Formats: sequence, structure tokens, C-alpha cells
Amino acid sequence: MPESALPLQGLKVLDISSFIAAPAAAVVLGDWGADVIKVEGPEGDPNRRIMHDSSNYPKSETNYPWHMDSRNKRSIVLDLKKPEARAALDRLIEKADVLICNFPPPVRDKLKLAYEDAKRVNPKLIYASLTGYGESGPDRDRPGFDATAYFARSGLLDAQRYEDGPPGVPGPAQGDRATAMALVSSILMALMHRMKTGEGAWVGTSLLGNGLWSCGVIAQAALVGAYLPHRPPPERPRSALGNIYRTADDRWLQLTIVRTDKLWAPLCEAMGLAPLIDDPRFATEPDRRARSAELAALLSAAFAKQPYEHWRKALAHHQVTFGVISRPQDVPDDQQAVACGAVVETKIAEMPRTLSNPIRLSFAEQRAAHPAPALGQHSEEILREVGLSAREVADLKASGAVK
Amino acid sequence: MSDALPLAGLLVLDVSTFIAAPAAATALADYGADVIKIEAPGEGDPHRHNYKRAATYPRSESNFPLQLDGRLKRSLALDLKKDEARPVLEKLIRRADVMIVNFPPPARERLKLRWEDIEPLNPRLVYCSLTGYGETGPDRDRPGFDVTAYFGRSGILDAARYEGGPPGLSLPAQGDRATAMTLVAAILLGLRHLDQTGKGSWVGTSLYANGAWANGTTLAGAAIGAKLVTREPPDRPRNALTNLYRTRDDRWLQLLVVRDDRLWATFCEVIGRPELFSDARFTDREERKRRALELHAEIAPIFAAKSYTEWEKILSTTGIPFGVIGRVVDVVDDEQARHAGIFAETSNPEVPRTVNNPIRLGFATPRVSGTPAAVGQNSEEILRELAYSEAEIDALKKAGALG
Repeated sequence: MPESALPLQGLKVLDISSFIAAPAAAVVLGDWGADVIKVEGPEGDPNRRIMHDSSNYPKSETNYPWHMDSRNKRSIVLDLKKPEARAALDRLIEKADVLICNFPPPVRDKLKLAYEDAKRVNPKLIYASLTGYGESGPDRDRPGFDATAYFARSGLLDAQRYEDGPPGVPGPAQGDRATAMALVSSILMALMHRMKTGEGAWVGTSLLGNGLWSCGVIAQAALVGAYLPHRPPPERPRSALGNIYRTADDRWLQLTIVRTDKLWAPLCEAMGLAPLIDDPRFATEPDRRARSAELAALLSAAFAKQPYEHWRKALAHHQVTFGVISRPQDVPDDQQAVACGAVVETKIAEMPRTLSNPIRLSFAEQRAAHPAPALGQHSEEILREVGLSAREVADLKASGAVK
Repeated sequence: MSDALPLAGLLVLDVSTFIAAPAAATALADYGADVIKIEAPGEGDPHRHNYKRAATYPRSESNFPLQLDGRLKRSLALDLKKDEARPVLEKLIRRADVMIVNFPPPARERLKLRWEDIEPLNPRLVYCSLTGYGETGPDRDRPGFDVTAYFGRSGILDAARYEGGPPGLSLPAQGDRATAMTLVAAILLGLRHLDQTGKGSWVGTSLYANGAWANGTTLAGAAIGAKLVTREPPDRPRNALTNLYRTRDDRWLQLLVVRDDRLWATFCEVIGRPELFSDARFTDREERKRRALELHAEIAPIFAAKSYTEWEKILSTTGIPFGVIGRVVDVVDDEQARHAGIFAETSNPEVPRTVNNPIRLGFATPRVSGTPAAVGQNSEEILRELAYSEAEIDALKKAGALG
């Protein structure tokens, strides 16, 4: 399909950010051709170690989260607390099109990395800001994380619980990666603005804003005073035919029968519960609703007798549609995940497959993922590109400002 | 801030239904695009009725979801199944910059709305496709919904469960709206390509790919065989000091005493159990972890005895770290949300506030929305813009092609 250069080829991006949402936006720009320079402190982005530091990350010998969030980037180490490093950074900013920053505001001020500071160096720069909670207000200085800002503060986790149950469980970086797409969109809008006006711009987004956007239906409902009661747990559903059931091999499937009159008999057949078809307790939809817990108990006992594969075939045979609740380990080998381009091959020997970003274009294909950089792997080459002499680079290294 | 919105002058045809694709059109409209929603005469987009029909939507007299997904659009009621409608559609396509389509592939083929049908009419058009599961592969023709394609199939729901518990819950349209940001980015990349080459293009995404992207950390781990993590339920914690506790008013508090080596004494004081400090069972970190269940049994009733607000007050003055599990009901009046620009006033008296899309631009603010258009509210005006005469408009109405 590709017939032309990548749409962001030639774009120079400074990724002065850590962890996931902001670096993931830089990944997406890099996937579409941008030259992404990751600027890290001497300790490196803590995301390099998150797999070990966080108990919610699957453990592996391979640092897959780092590869995923830093593929195709180059790394330079600048100790921004040292004045010599600042001069080098300004050289990078002068040549950059986009700067992505996610320091909390006080750190930006301390490091002179606020938009005003960067704009002075390069007025055409697009400065993309990610915060947890926005750029002003009582919580603007709070570091925000996906679990706290996107999921907990927004009300998502509270809304995602079953009646009487504990709050929902956010997957690692789930909100971060969704937020990255909003950040990418904001950067692309600024590029369009710059093309029309020649002006640089500040753009940004917050994790809290993205969390609320994603649960927009309930947030918008709350704005007009409408609230959703918590979902009843699977053992006492509102409708037993729109409910989840556990199979003998501890998997779950979701019945999503809307046309219940048409599908009642086929369902009973598929479940091996033919006598229920004419059972007067469940004769009509109102009966089935009124006795939903009773019906759910019968279905639940039946589902628990056979493994998932049995039910998949039996339900398909009787043309009863159901929702698949895949396990994460099923997805990489799901033919459809490959067909929709979500799971792709890489040029990383220790991690042969990864997840592409979800944008698809007829005129270009995402770059294949190459290994994420070692800390400071490209420091020297990057500084030479922006015009520093070998001598200057050596001095910077000697001062500890560059590694 | 200048008034020129970045997408002013862009003509967008929203030939899509429900949420993810229309929400992308909303974000474009927020930033100035002229969005024409093409929908079936009579009922219009079925999403118009979700607030009355969908069991998972909060009940309200006002059509609150439409403020999110229908705002700032003009409605053209056109029956695409009628031959007479086709010339109207083609005239619009010739003028449009962007067209958003989310019919499953068989319907596109039937309605001649595939890219290959459209491209000859306007080679500069950015044709944006949303599918449930991608454009090829065994499941490409399946209609995809947020809960099935984004959440179920991608492994998010399975990963979002507590050990031994049912799958996680997703909220209405939660994945749809995240996906909308990807569509916006894809469209902007298409527009950039148009600027660079003068050529239109196909761009798109799928709900499945977006769910997989959001679940990317876990899936990248799964793809290299990393051991997946299960989350212990709050009543069986691995560490009782970093665990969720229910308060008297059925809210939840995330206790985050990571440095219990330093904070153990303070913690015992704060919860009013100073004697626990000298309890031989819990003398050091290792003991406390090993006896997590015993410790939980001591702590849980204490948290259950006071309300969330009481605990918030107690903990925030003592330096015991905890995470807030917010509720949507509180967030809508959260001062920080106002600072982050998350909500906006509307000029629609029935729905006076709405949720902004998460993109923030230094050079433009989203347009203020009024009352969303009724089905076909702008049909005549749009046809007149296309130079249709009154007689022609009447004829289209008589034929049932125009509503």
C-alpha cells in the first residue's frame, strides 16, 4: 500500500517526558516517520525499570514495556540541572519542530522548560504538554498517573464496579495509551495551524480530561443530574440473557441476547436445557426478567459443566451470538488481531512482535519497531548533528552535563 | 488566542452511527469544521434514542448523549437506499474534505460507500473508515461495539478482574470515545498528506486495534510469554497496607503506605490502634506482609466505621498516603476539572454543560455548542447550498429520499 514518504518524515521531535502517556505520543509520531530524540536525565526515564518496579506488570527477561514506549527513538542524556546542559538543550530546541513535556509545572519552572522559555528559543516550536490534572488549579502541581488521574479521580473506577463490589481494576498504562492519541491529535492540529500561519503553539491534554472524555456518557449524564446505579453482579443480573457466565475452564463468555423471544428456544437447545423451553416460569420475556436470578443460576450451573470451546461451538451451532471475553494471552495469536494490524512484527530480536499504534493510512505504513535505545546511546551523534564540535561534546561529557 | 479555529472551512460528512465515528466528527466540529451528519429520515442515527433505550444508560428526560455526539453538526436526512438520494450524496462528496464512514463492509458495498466507490468522485477526499475488527480477516464483516470489540476481544475485561472474580466492567462508550481520538489523528494525517501531495487518501482505525493499543503493555508482555499478573481481591491482599478499604458510606479508599518502615507507628496512631505498633505479630515489614490477612482483619473494620470524607480529612493531615477513588457525581463540580477545561457551558438550556474533547490548543478554544440538530433539521438549507431548487427538493421529499 505505501506509495509515498511517511507523513511525518523530517519532523524533529524532542521527547522530554517520562513514563508512558507522553512518550507513547512520541512513539506514534515516530511510527509515522518523525525523528524522535528522547532527552533523559542521568538516571534515565524511570519507565526503563517499571517492569521491575511495578507489581502490576507481567515480568519477563525482556524489557518489553521499554521497547514498546521507546521504539525507534534515539536517546541523549542531558543533566538539565547543570547550566552547560541547558545550552546544549537550547541547540536541540532551536532545531526541533515539536517538544513533548510532562514534568509537573514546578519542575518545568525550575528547569526553565515552560512554554514561554522554549518559545523564546524557537518561536515556531510546537510545545505539547501533558499533565495529570491540567495547567492551573489546586492540583496542577500533583504528579498524575494513569491509575490515579485517568481512572480514579475521574470516577471511572467507582463506576466500573459491581453493586457492593470493589472498584474496577485498571490495566497498566491503559489510560496513558488512550491519552497519547489525544496528544497526537493536538500536535497535528498545531502542525496544521503552523502550516497556515507560520506560528508555533502550545497544545496539550491532561490524564483527568481524557478519563472523563472516555466516560463521557456518565459524565454528561451527571451534568444533567442523571446517574447510573452500579451494575448488579452476575449472580443477580437485570437480565439473565444479557449476562456473563463462567465456563468449566474458568473463562467467561457474555450472552448478549436482545431478541430474546426469537432466541430463547435455540439458547435452551444449545445449553442442553431443552425442558426449559416450555417451562411456564420462563415463558415470556417479562417472566424471564422477573425471575432473572433464578434463570441465571440455572444457566450458570450449565455453563460451569463444560469448557469454553464446547460452548463456543454449541452456541454458534444454534446461532446464538455471544461476546468473546478474550484473555490477554489469546490476543497476540488471534488472526483478527493480525488482520486489523494491531499485532505486528518487529526488528527486535528479543521481542519479535509488538502492538502497532491504531492509526491506519492507505498511503503509508508504520515503521517497523527497532530496539529502544540504551541510555545515552546517541548523545554524541545528536549533539554533532546540531552543530557542536567534537571538542565541545567532550567538554560537556567531562562536566557531567552529558552522558 | 486568535479566533481562527484550526479546522474552519473544512467540510466533513459524518455518514456514521452510534459513537466512536460520530464522536470524532464532534471533535472536528469543536475545532471549527462544518460537519454534516447524514442520517436516515425518521429515526435518524439510532444513537439518538440510546438515552431512552439502552439499559446501560442513565435515565434522563433530556437527550444528554446527543450533546456529546451530535453537537455542532447539521443534520441532513437522506435515505441512502433510495436511488434518488445518490446524486445528492455525490454532490456533497465532491465538495467535502473529509468523509467518515462506519458501516460494516457488506453494507458499504451495498450502498456503494467503499473508498473505491468514492475516490473517483473526489480524489482529494480524506475517507475515514471505522470498523469493529479491521478491513480484512475472518471477522471484518462483524458489527463491532465498544464492549465487544474494544473491551472484550482485546483482553481488557479479562485482565481487569480480581482473582477468582468476574471480568471487569466497561462504561457506555468508554472505548468509543478513546477511539475517536485515534480517528481524529488519522484524519489529520490524511489532511497533512493532502497538503504535501495534493492527494486524498483512505485513513482509518478499528475498535479492536484501539482496545489492543490501550491494553498494549499487557499484550506486549503476553506476546513474549511474560507471566501475566492477577490482581488480589481487597479482602485477600498480598499487602494490607497498600490495599483498598471500604468506608462506612460504601466508598473505597486506596491505602498507599508503601514506606511502612517509616510510617507504621504513625499509621497505628492515625487509625486509633496504637497498640498494634507493639503487637508482636506485626513488628516489621516482613511480618506485616506475611500476615497480610491478619492485618487486613484488624484494619478493615476500622475503615468501615467512618465515612469517606472523615477518612479523607484524617489521612490528609497526617501524611499517610492514600489514593482518591472519585465519583462522577463529585467530578462534575470539581474545581480542578474546571481548571483543566474538561467541561464547557453550552447554549442548550436542556443540557447546559457538556464534556469537552480532551484536546487543548493555545491558539483556539472549542466552539460553544447549542441544541443539537433534529433529524433533517438542515436538509433543505444544505440542498439549497448545493443549488437544488425548491421543486427538486420537493421531489426528493416526495420520493422519500429526503427527510
